[in-house]
Amino acid sequence: MAEIARIEEAVKDYGPKKIGPITFTVGGGEIVGYLGPNGAGKSTTIRMLLGLIRPTAGTVRLNGLDPLRRHAKALEGVGYSPELPNLQSFLTPRELLRLAARLHGLGSEAIKSEVPMLLERVGLAEYGDYRIAKLSKGMIQRLGIAQAMVASPRLLILDEPTIGIDPAGVVHFRSVFRDFVKSGGTIVMSSHILSEVEQLCTSLAVIHSGRLVFRGGIQEFIVKGLGSRSVSVEVEKVDEALVGVVRAVQGVMQVTATPSGLLVEVSKDSDPRAEISKAIVGSGAKLLAIGYSRSELDDAYVRSIRGDAE
Amino acid sequence: MRPGRILTFARYEMRRAVARKKVLAVVGLTILIDTVPYYALAGAGLSLVPASYHPYLWVVGVFVPQAFFLQFIALLIAAGSMSEEYEQGTAEMLLSKPVGRDEYFFGKFLGGYLLMVLVILLNAVLSVSSATYVFGPQGGLGILPLVLVVQAFCSLVFYSVSFMVGELVRRSSLSYILSSAVFFTSQIVGIYLSVIYSLTGQETFRLASLYLPTSPVDSLPLLLAEPSLPDTVRTLFRLGGIGAVETSAPFSAVLIAAYSISAIAIAVAYFIRADVAKRIT
Repeated sequence: MAEIARIEEAVKDYGPKKIGPITFTVGGGEIVGYLGPNGAGKSTTIRMLLGLIRPTAGTVRLNGLDPLRRHAKALEGVGYSPELPNLQSFLTPRELLRLAARLHGLGSEAIKSEVPMLLERVGLAEYGDYRIAKLSKGMIQRLGIAQAMVASPRLLILDEPTIGIDPAGVVHFRSVFRDFVKSGGTIVMSSHILSEVEQLCTSLAVIHSGRLVFRGGIQEFIVKGLGSRSVSVEVEKVDEALVGVVRAVQGVMQVTATPSGLLVEVSKDSDPRAEISKAIVGSGAKLLAIGYSRSELDDAYVRSIRGDAE
Repeated sequence: MRPGRILTFARYEMRRAVARKKVLAVVGLTILIDTVPYYALAGAGLSLVPASYHPYLWVVGVFVPQAFFLQFIALLIAAGSMSEEYEQGTAEMLLSKPVGRDEYFFGKFLGGYLLMVLVILLNAVLSVSSATYVFGPQGGLGILPLVLVVQAFCSLVFYSVSFMVGELVRRSSLSYILSSAVFFTSQIVGIYLSVIYSLTGQETFRLASLYLPTSPVDSLPLLLAEPSLPDTVRTLFRLGGIGAVETSAPFSAVLIAAYSISAIAIAVAYFIRADVAKRIT
């Protein structure tokens, strides 16, 4: 997995507030979820990576190059969508994408084919000739993503990419991002929507109070953050006997009945989902669904932030 | 630096400047200033202006705005060029593209400056066409291309200074205020120094006034054009209150270059090192 971005001991000192030192790398093909509370330093890190702000100390490399000294070269093949993008309100989406394409060095023919395709991809084909000033917040967010995807980048850096986008749009963009990675791209995405991160990202970087508190896989983060893991079991009917059957499975620590089934707390070092399924089916109960609880990442995240604060 | 990227930014800057109502208002004002006086004179009766002046009345429209109006337009175009991008948060999107900061800087500088040159051209075209329409065929127009080139060169001073101020303060209203303050202070101090020199005869005051940024800007077009124009025009200049400070054209040219290059150098040095703000509110 070739390294695309590297931040090493990077510090940004704003005077009253200091971000860093932060060290992490991003490899090709990853979808990195970059998490942290407001003001933790996510945008600062991203902006250092893009060469928009100068680190007070440390080094930043994008495509192996210093984005400050060799900005144009380092940012080749990189697309960036800022949080709540401030776009040129006097232009139309079509004009903005043409401008972005020209800044990427695309020729007239490439621009002619790429701009309508991008407008279509982000769901703005009908609004291509409206003034940006007339577009809704969600449409501007879509346009922000479109301008980042101009010239088929290899790395997409997205700061809160789905804020303001309607639920159907969020689902659509999830598939757009997955396709992007399937075709060889890499994404670094900051977000506060943990369910989105959990569904999309392959790894996490968590920052808190200007310090990186975690870098690794999502499961690893959950295991590390939670003392145990929660398995959610959906069954047709819950009774005491079933609770007893599940409690007897090795690795199960606690079983709680819920309206739709069971919430099973298991040891963080084991994965007894298969055994639990087998035991439930063996007892004659009808198993409808089983999986790790969806709120696990939220819980792990909150604990990691709270723990650090303590 | 890649010329293609610079031109892209230049085109973008022209488009951005035109989209601002301020610049459109200025263009509208240029049209009024260059047409209304001629038609007003025509309305009042052509006989009010001696016939010997009629073939040279284009100089009034071309030279009168030089000292104040054209410099103020330069200031208006340049003061918001960088600062408004920071205020609106649009610099971030542009500079996250694979472009050099120098390409962005010089592209924007060039775009705004080209717009300024177009205003100078518009000023000349309207003046000449209005004078021709109202007072008949105009003479001495051979000097006009040189005058336009010199006016464009002169406008570099306040264009560059305002561009620099916009980059340094990164707030458009503050940038307009400070740039205007530099311009008006120079004008006013120049008048005071000239008055004091007239009263005291002390050379120091005259020399000091020559080094003010407004001095070479006001003088250079006249210094170069006057020898090629007939006496009638000189009388017209005196009547219009237009007069070159007693200095030389090379001295004025060097001073204009020095002011412009210094301002550009300071702005570039700051811009290359400074962080690109997310959005200044």
